[in-house]
Amino acid sequence: MSSKSSAAQSGQALWTKMPKANAELFALTYGSLVTELVRDYEDPIEVNAQLDRIGHSIGVRCVDEFLSKADVAGMGMTTQCQSLRDTAEVVAKMGFKMFLGVQAEVGGFSQDQKSFSIYLQDNPLSTFVELPGDEQGGSDDLRRLKYSNVYCGVIRGALEQVNLKVECNIVRDTLKGDDLNEIRVELKEVLTDGAGDDYKEE
Amino acid sequence: MNLNKAPSNILDRPLDRPRSSDGVSLSAFAYIYSELVQYHQGRAASISELERRLESAGYGVGLKILELVAYRAKESKRETRLMSILHFVSSYVWKTLFGKSADSLERSIDHADEYMIVDYEPITSTFVSVPSDLGQLSVDAYLSGIIAGVLDGAGFSARVTAHSVKIEEGEVPPTGSGGFSVPGMPPRKEKAVFLVKFSPEVLSRDAALER
Repeated sequence: MSSKSSAAQSGQALWTKMPKANAELFALTYGSLVTELVRDYEDPIEVNAQLDRIGHSIGVRCVDEFLSKADVAGMGMTTQCQSLRDTAEVVAKMGFKMFLGVQAEVGGFSQDQKSFSIYLQDNPLSTFVELPGDEQGGSDDLRRLKYSNVYCGVIRGALEQVNLKVECNIVRDTLKGDDLNEIRVELKEVLTDGAGDDYKEE
Repeated sequence: MNLNKAPSNILDRPLDRPRSSDGVSLSAFAYIYSELVQYHQGRAASISELERRLESAGYGVGLKILELVAYRAKESKRETRLMSILHFVSSYVWKTLFGKSADSLERSIDHADEYMIVDYEPITSTFVSVPSDLGQLSVDAYLSGIIAGVLDGAGFSARVTAHSVKIEEGEVPPTGSGGFSVPGMPPRKEKAVFLVKFSPEVLSRDAALER
């Protein structure tokens, strides 16, 4: 992907071709999963970890769908991402758009170009959702719940499949009163292709 | 953080029909749903327990869907009769959730308290193939939970179960509308039958209204 606008255009083109499902059913289904996790694990930190794990399992599979569909649609995926900037553009403008119909923005690159932020204006997961606030007291623990943490897992899982080891964190969340959602992505390591040492012939 | 702006209160958010463009990809739904099934599968000891768990996951969703659909309906009337609530579910609720009506609504011949809602392509099993060791599992149990939630919320308590039924050769969906047929997917071999068994008090109330 060379220019910024082309990623957005490709994302839009991909989105129009995707069979659709009702966004509210989607949000409620996710809600039902989170509720179950909260009930089972109680500790919000553990729930966040579980959501991340679930996201990872989705991520490793949805990257395949993404690559095959982007390729079939002739989106010029023959040219690989040259830098993390390209990758960020593709994740935000094509990935998010293709699966969720919302466009995400990229920004906040660090000096060393190894971390960036994905900004999400609309979060399809958080429709109808309200987290217990300060004034309600009681279940104050739930304030530590990262409701949309599944995104982090998805991004981590998807990028892992293309040899990028990243760490993700939700740093701003509209459910907690921020004016937008921000996911911070940090590149840890570029993995090398090929079988691991365990599989090498002796 | 901007102090002038109060945290967005859920009560201030509009509940009206979403923007026309609203929707997510079927894939995104399928991924989340698949994780929901896997999660419950890991905690269920048997097939029927897995189905019960999926049903209870759907039940809460059904209650919320009922409120949402009722709020958005133009005429603010409440269905009080058995047939009209079933019709409400198979057309209104179905259209809201899946963009099409259910393929058919049938009354059981053998049992007066049983009705069947049939869907040839329920979205919960679009990309699902049930391994043989899970035999009779119907992953559409989540939808039966939603139906039970809607019915219960409307005052028609019922036991709803999902069943996968083999589609006979030459059998075509009555409506002929492939709401969620996905290009490149083989035709379905099974349809989903949601068996609705109403509680006795619901039936006696309906019989009383008949007079």
